[in-house]
Amino acid sequence: MKNLLLLARKDFIRKWRNPIVIIGFTLIPIVFAFIFGLIFGPSQEKTLPRISVLAVDEDQSFFSEFFLSSFKQGELNKIIDLKKVDKEQGLKLMNKGKASALLIIPQKFGEKIWEGQPVEISLLKNPSEQFLPQIVEEICDISSLLFSSLFSVFSDELGTIKKFIDEGNFPDRQISSLSVQIKRRIESISKYVFPPIISLKQKTIKEEEEESPLSVQAYILPAIAVMFLLFICNVVFEDILREKKMGTLLRMTVSPLKISDFIWSKTLISAIIGILCTLILIALGRIIFSIHWGNPVLLFFIVICLNFMIAGFISFLYTFIRTEQQAGAVLSSVFIVMSLLGGSMVPAESFPPFILNISKLTLNYWGIQAFRKATTDAPFREIFPILLGMILAGIFFSTVGSYFLNKSLKKGLLK
Amino acid sequence: MLKIAHLSKSFDSIKAVDDISLEVKEGEIFGLLGPNGAGKTTTISMIASLLRPDTGKIYIDSLDIETDLKKIKKMMGVVPQEMAFYEELSAKENLIFWGKLQGVVRKTLEERIRFYLEKTGLLGRENDPLKKYSGGMKRRINLIIGLIHQPKLLLLDEPTIGIDVQTRLNIYEIIKEASSQGTTILYTTHNLQEAEELCHRIGIMDQGKILAEGTLTELIKIVGEKDIALISGNFSAETGRKILSSLKETTVISLEDGKIILSLDASKKIPLLLQDFFREGISIDDVSIKQPNLESVFLKLTGKELRE
Repeated sequence: MKNLLLLARKDFIRKWRNPIVIIGFTLIPIVFAFIFGLIFGPSQEKTLPRISVLAVDEDQSFFSEFFLSSFKQGELNKIIDLKKVDKEQGLKLMNKGKASALLIIPQKFGEKIWEGQPVEISLLKNPSEQFLPQIVEEICDISSLLFSSLFSVFSDELGTIKKFIDEGNFPDRQISSLSVQIKRRIESISKYVFPPIISLKQKTIKEEEEESPLSVQAYILPAIAVMFLLFICNVVFEDILREKKMGTLLRMTVSPLKISDFIWSKTLISAIIGILCTLILIALGRIIFSIHWGNPVLLFFIVICLNFMIAGFISFLYTFIRTEQQAGAVLSSVFIVMSLLGGSMVPAESFPPFILNISKLTLNYWGIQAFRKATTDAPFREIFPILLGMILAGIFFSTVGSYFLNKSLKKGLLK
Repeated sequence: MLKIAHLSKSFDSIKAVDDISLEVKEGEIFGLLGPNGAGKTTTISMIASLLRPDTGKIYIDSLDIETDLKKIKKMMGVVPQEMAFYEELSAKENLIFWGKLQGVVRKTLEERIRFYLEKTGLLGRENDPLKKYSGGMKRRINLIIGLIHQPKLLLLDEPTIGIDVQTRLNIYEIIKEASSQGTTILYTTHNLQEAEELCHRIGIMDQGKILAEGTLTELIKIVGEKDIALISGNFSAETGRKILSSLKETTVISLEDGKIILSLDASKKIPLLLQDFFREGISIDDVSIKQPNLESVFLKLTGKELRE
């Protein structure tokens, strides 16, 4: 134990004095989270662009004006930019893709409404736009429905007014009687219409970035962090090969030190450095991205268990590695593939079931799951099995790794 | 202190060490002299328990290395060819680390560190990281690490490679002092001058075998009073053999096309020999004569020169 701590202390001082690689690997997840946040995060401007609608009024009647004016009412006026054009100009502009839709009100639109006959309006949509013409279509549907309802309710009164207009005679008595009739009609439907049963309350949902546990960064940072923890822990284990090359391992072998102490010291210092880097990442995540990390005690346990599991796993991998070149080429590939499958690059939830099952065999998957549960304030009973799994995996990997690494080091000490 | 009996080690079909036996007394500096590939490092690696011998036995202080390795490790120090320390750490930190690893208590360690740093002229630089040290300074630290726990047996594997004369002399001084205090030293080198100057006894090693061993005087006796002559020129081995057949009181050490090595009384025999060559119309490029010394011994035993 004394020698183990002596070795770990020595390695910690060495890494402390030469920290560039570890600092680099620690900061990369922050940079990634920042960039991904910019790409996939909520933007500041959330309003729709104004929809350009061209209107051709071939009728030029009171009713066509009335119909078109519905597009300029209230909130619609904010999103619809209605511009009256003649048919030729309108078609030309549509061909150039200058508007989202072209609305054509045909001749005799008003006359047919007076007579209670069905009328048709035409809507040409810009095929190069996906959503905006759809919105215009919906508005036209609603306006048409409202128009139809209005004329159905006041059909008698409108008939009387048309008769007055056709005859050119407006007798005072019948006009006042019509006024009373319209007033009563409005009063009778008022109890069904006002207050409206269904009202639309507009509210812009502002993303509560400060409190939201599932901000983009809270999702991305742990995922990328787990991936880079593999690389950070590997920096410590690479020392095994370096010490073999330098002759320090040979010198230790001749001393009373046990080689297993040397290997366990690498696992220990690898886990300690991994823990420190993870804590730095968590702090930076909180400060820079305001990530809610959940219960700090639980989070601390996750960090310890995760790094122990990673350190053990890497010691296990080193039983297959003989040279620094092998370590560089083979381990980097293993880490990248494992990170891809484990959800560090693409969320595992989006994988098909078969790949998801493979994903569950990776360290990354369980590390990310643990962090995700912590950030969403999941109860301890949900996190506990993951922690237990990490500890057991760590014990298994580090024990098997230490045993075989001990054998392979003893065997291959002399170049 | 150190006893090796019939030690052998092969790597695939190559016999690196071939049935060697030797004994080194307490406080003695024993030099293993030989060219690269002679088997010196393999021998020292087996003594350091880094390699298991194919056959043979190694005893250190009467303890069998196979059965008492734990005890033996405590009394052994090693200085490998490589700079086996941590360059990010200072000299003092390195010495503390290696000393503690050998079980030296802090107070004793502090005293020894001061003693050795003073001895090597590095006192005052002890807190500098070793990456800032020169090659010679690093070599000295490499040696001190091997000595810091004052081992009974110190294995030195060519510890003076690539250093200046001053550092070399400093290292010799420290080794001699350790020896005078009772440390047994096994020293591998391919430097004749070093072996002559430093070692009490020398073993000449080539192709995995110890060809001869003894003090310098004992080894020179192998050559006797005769000189070693090396003649090179434009002649075939056949012609050389024909000319040498008429020459008496001369031993042929080596004969090949264009090169002959002989053991002879140079002042009398060389003029006669040259006359014979000239008579045959053979031009001679070079004649070098060596007085009886370690180099001539090495030449006689191995049939080849030992160059750094």
